[in-house]
Order: sequence, then structure tokens, then C-alpha cells
Amino acid sequence: METLNLLADGFAVALTPTNLMLAVLGCFLGTLIGSLPGLGPVNGVAILIPVAFSLELDPTSALILLSCIYYGCMYGGRISSILLNIPGDEPAIMTTLDGYPMAKAGKASEALAISAVASFIGATFATIGLTLFAPMLASVAIHFGPSDYFALYVMAFATIGGITGANPFKTLIAAFLGLMIAAVGLDPGTGVARFTFDSFHLYDGFDPIVAIVGLFAISEVLMYLEKMDQLQGKMVPLGRAIPKLKDILSGGWAYIRGSVIGFVSGVLPGAGASLGAFLSYIAEQRWSDKDGSFGKGNPKGVAAPEAGNNSASGGALIPMLTLGVPGSGTTAVMLALLISLNIQPGPLLFERQPDIVWGLIAALYIANFVLLLLNVPLISFFTRALSMPQWILMPFVVMVSFMGVYSISHSTFDLLVMVGFGLFGYILRKVGVSLVPIILGLLLGAEMENNLRRALSISDGNFGILFQSPIALALYAITATMLCLSFYLAFRKRRRAGEKSV
Amino acid sequence: MTDRIVGLVILASAIWYGVTAGTYEASFGDPLGPAAFPVMLSVPVAVLSLFLLIRPDANPDWARGAALLRQVAAICILVSYALLLERLGFLFVTFLAVALLGRLLGSQWGKSAVSGAVISLVLFVAFDQVLGLPLPALPEFMS
Repeated sequence: METLNLLADGFAVALTPTNLMLAVLGCFLGTLIGSLPGLGPVNGVAILIPVAFSLELDPTSALILLSCIYYGCMYGGRISSILLNIPGDEPAIMTTLDGYPMAKAGKASEALAISAVASFIGATFATIGLTLFAPMLASVAIHFGPSDYFALYVMAFATIGGITGANPFKTLIAAFLGLMIAAVGLDPGTGVARFTFDSFHLYDGFDPIVAIVGLFAISEVLMYLEKMDQLQGKMVPLGRAIPKLKDILSGGWAYIRGSVIGFVSGVLPGAGASLGAFLSYIAEQRWSDKDGSFGKGNPKGVAAPEAGNNSASGGALIPMLTLGVPGSGTTAVMLALLISLNIQPGPLLFERQPDIVWGLIAALYIANFVLLLLNVPLISFFTRALSMPQWILMPFVVMVSFMGVYSISHSTFDLLVMVGFGLFGYILRKVGVSLVPIILGLLLGAEMENNLRRALSISDGNFGILFQSPIALALYAITATMLCLSFYLAFRKRRRAGEKSV
Repeated sequence: MTDRIVGLVILASAIWYGVTAGTYEASFGDPLGPAAFPVMLSVPVAVLSLFLLIRPDANPDWARGAALLRQVAAICILVSYALLLERLGFLFVTFLAVALLGRLLGSQWGKSAVSGAVISLVLFVAFDQVLGLPLPALPEFMS
């Protein structure tokens, strides 16, 4: 009951005319950006964070605007997956499997409508879950001490992307690299300058937003310059302008099954949206693929992963808001956003700034409705964005990134840092190192060190305190299990790949 | 091979990082000090990088020929943009950068010049006039 009251207060915050207008604007802009080829949700939100800052909104409004942009990007991303077969980000890959064949068979607008409805159901399901479970988790997490938080961060780094099948050594290295970069700058505890090369530009360390924009947006440009000779995505015509209700309903229970599976994998540490989309697709295929039509344009093959993807992204907000530990790339960007707004997520956020938390949750409900309303009738408008030539789009994105970063500090040094991170990100992506753990390390490094220090000052320097509380021990046990699982899966995959090549 | 090189670079960086961090000293009361955490980070990275040296993945296809040239040119444009922005003014540098990047992305000179002019003007109006971010509009010697 108390939750409902708080939620009602949240709606009171989110439904002020300014905030409502920002929500609609955010949804519209987000869908537009998300539908541009080559700009996934992470890139889209990253380049707009600094821009939103220069609007000088209060934190709640800025948060509402940016989370609506984020949700809009998620909706828009599927447009290029379905019409061009170019997924905007990793979770969208599963949508291309059946979405693109559907579009080629002349059912493009049906596929888009199904994915919009699936996104709506998945995201709404997850938002309801967020409303119910986040306060519960926050009230548990309030008992976490510094050593428990340290254990929690260890778990976040050890498990992120763990079961996605990428080389686990590289994922762990990426997490450590992020933490190492986070230590650059004046040490908050003692004021000692670390790794600054006596350059005062580095005394504040690297701004996570600058790093994110470089790692994602600039590296994307370099990727495109490499592949542009081979990439000639041909757009599939939209077909019927307004899809039939019957076709939309053909997603059936796949919407619900996808939402449930996605939500669970979203809440799990380190799993995130990619796993949500993947598992939903696989489960739906097992469940309802009677005639082998999955992968050839089965509507349920669009509905399940799209519901799973959006539900997982919503579910991933639970650990991010209550514990301050994001589980996926997009929630990591959201965390960067909160930190730059001077909001430290965690259990105390629910007690001290309930208007922010519940205003955000209410805004997510509103965003889902607005997006559904925008996406079904206006779909032919958004598909026009796909025909924007890359030689206009890419330079434009680069310049917006430059200006966004410049607006943070008014220093051209940060522009160079951004380009540096872009090159760094490009090399890492080529080598198969995921960028998300780096961002996570960069964002959480300072907090991780602070908690370690707090724990050690309680115990007067005795490291034993890290392993005394039952919460910390449980977290280490989960960490160890997940690590073993991810190494086992990686080695099995490697052995199989080896057998195939022989 | 790529993984081995990357592993070697990371190993070297980790050793440098750990050794550098080890020299940091704080004179007063923090039980951990500024050195311990970075040193704690450098050891596992060094160990993990050994695995890249021992068991590298297959090589990625690196860009060659024209693609590599395009990437190098793009980096040069971006770096020069950052260095010249305050010296030559936003309008001119942005026009040049957008036009050159557009050319790299396969458009003709004429079209990219037009897109450069339009984008630099639009962004100037949007950021300087609407969003209130003061930009150095013109070259230093003219303002």
C-alpha cells in the first residue's frame, strides 16, 4: 500500500506540464536517434547526456528526459534491425533473426507493430516489477556495510557479461582496466595525485561521460570507416501502412513469456539485456516452433526477444537503483547519468530522495504509453530517418559529441581525451574486449576504493574484516559460482569450435 | 598474434602501473593509503594478461589499404579539430571537419562542403544561441 502512495507521489512529480512535455520530447527524440543506423541506445544516450545538461534542468526533470530518450532509443533500435538487418546494439541481434525475414516477405509494418507492442508489454512488465521489488531490495540493502559493498562490486565485475560466451579473460581484463583508469587523479582519501604525469588536466581524473562518448560514439565512426565498402544495407519497403490487429495478436503468449524470462535475466547480476533477448528467443523457439518457421519470419520470433530485451533492460534498473551496480551497457550509461547529476544510487536514495526515484519510475510508465502511441501510427515517419546518408549523419554525430564534451568542461583537452578513448575503444572492440566492463570500472572504481578504505578503517587495517559478514561471504560464493560457470562455458565453446575446425 | 601483442602491452602497463602506484605515500592516518588499491589492481591484470600470451584467440581482420587510410585520416581530422577549435573558431573548424569527414565517408566535395556549412551553422545556433554554451565563433586574430 505504501508503495502505491509513493508511486502516486511519483506521478504527481512526473505529470507536471514541464516534465510531461520533456517525457514526450524525450520519447520522440529517442526513437528518432535509435532508428538512425549505427547509433544504438548506448551511443544515443551517451552523446545526449551533456546536451541535456546544458538545458539546466533540475535533476528530476533531466533524469526524466534522459530516461525517456533511453527508452525511446530502445524502441527505435528495432527499426533498423527489422528494415535493414543492422542491429543497433547486441540485444537487438535476436530481433533481426525473424524480423528481417518478415520484412522481406512484405510484412515489415506487421513486424514493426509486433515489436512495438512487445516492447511495450516487456517494458511495462519490468516497470511493474521494478515498482514491487526495488523497495524490497533497497530495504535489505540498507544493512550492507562497507565490506559488503566491496564484495558486491567484486561480484559485479566478476560476473558482468560472464555468461554471454565472450572470452572471460578479456572481460575480466576490461573490468580491471576500467578500475585502473578510474584511479587516475587526486586520491580523495589523501589528496595524493595519482597517474597524472604532473598535468593539472588530469587532477580530476577522467570524466566518465567523456570516456563513454569516446568509447562508443567515436569508435563506431572508426568501425564504420573500416566496413563501409562492404556495408550496403538495402531498406525493405514498409508494405501496408497500418498493420492488422490480427497480425499483432499473433505474437500471443510469446509477449508474456518473453517478458518474464527477460525480467529475470535482467535482475540477475551481470546478465543484462543481451541474455534476456537471447534466452527469450531460444525458449520461445523450443516452446512454439512446431513447423521450423523460426528464423524465417515467425511473428513470435520477433515478439519474444523484443519483449525479453525491453523487460531485461527494465529489470536491470533494479540492481542499478537499489545497489548502484548496473548489469548492462545501457544501465551503466544511466548510472553515469545519475552520478553526473550528483545522485548516488543505492538503498539510501529510496529514503532520502524518494521524489527522484518514484518520479523516475512514474516517468517510465508514462514513457511506455507515449512510445506505444508514437510508434504504431508514426512508424512511417521514423523509417524515413533510415534513409539519411551516412556522410551527413556520422560527421553530425561526431560534432554533437565534440560540443557535448566541450560543454562539460570548456577544455579542448577533454576533446583530445575523447578521441583517445575512441581509438582505445576501437582497438578493444577489434580484439573482442567488451567495453561495458570498462565503463563499469570507471564508474564504480572510486566507490569501490572508498568502501574498501572504510572497511579497513573500521578494522584498523585488518583485511579479515572483508570476509566476516555473512552477506559478503554469500556474495563471494555467488561470484565464485558465476566465474566457474562462465569459464566452463567459454572453454566448452572453445573446444567445440576446435572440434569443428578439425 | 594480435592477442599476444595486446597481452604484452597490458602486462607492461600493469607492471608500470603497480610500480608507479607503489611510490605513492601518505603521511597521515589512512590505513590503506593511496598506493594499496592500485597495486591490488595491477597484480591480477598482470596475471590475466599472461593468459592472453599463452592462449590467444584467433586474429581479428584489421583494416588494410583504403580503409586503414580512411581511419588514420579521420583520427587526424578529429585531433586537429580538438587542437584548432579555440584558435581558428568554431564555425571555420567545424565546416572543415564536417566537409572532410563527409568526403571520407564517400560523398563528393560539393555536397560535403554544403553539409559542412549547414551543420556548422545549425550546431552554432543550437549550442551557442539556444543552449547557451559560449563557443569561440571566429578565429582568435579576428575577435
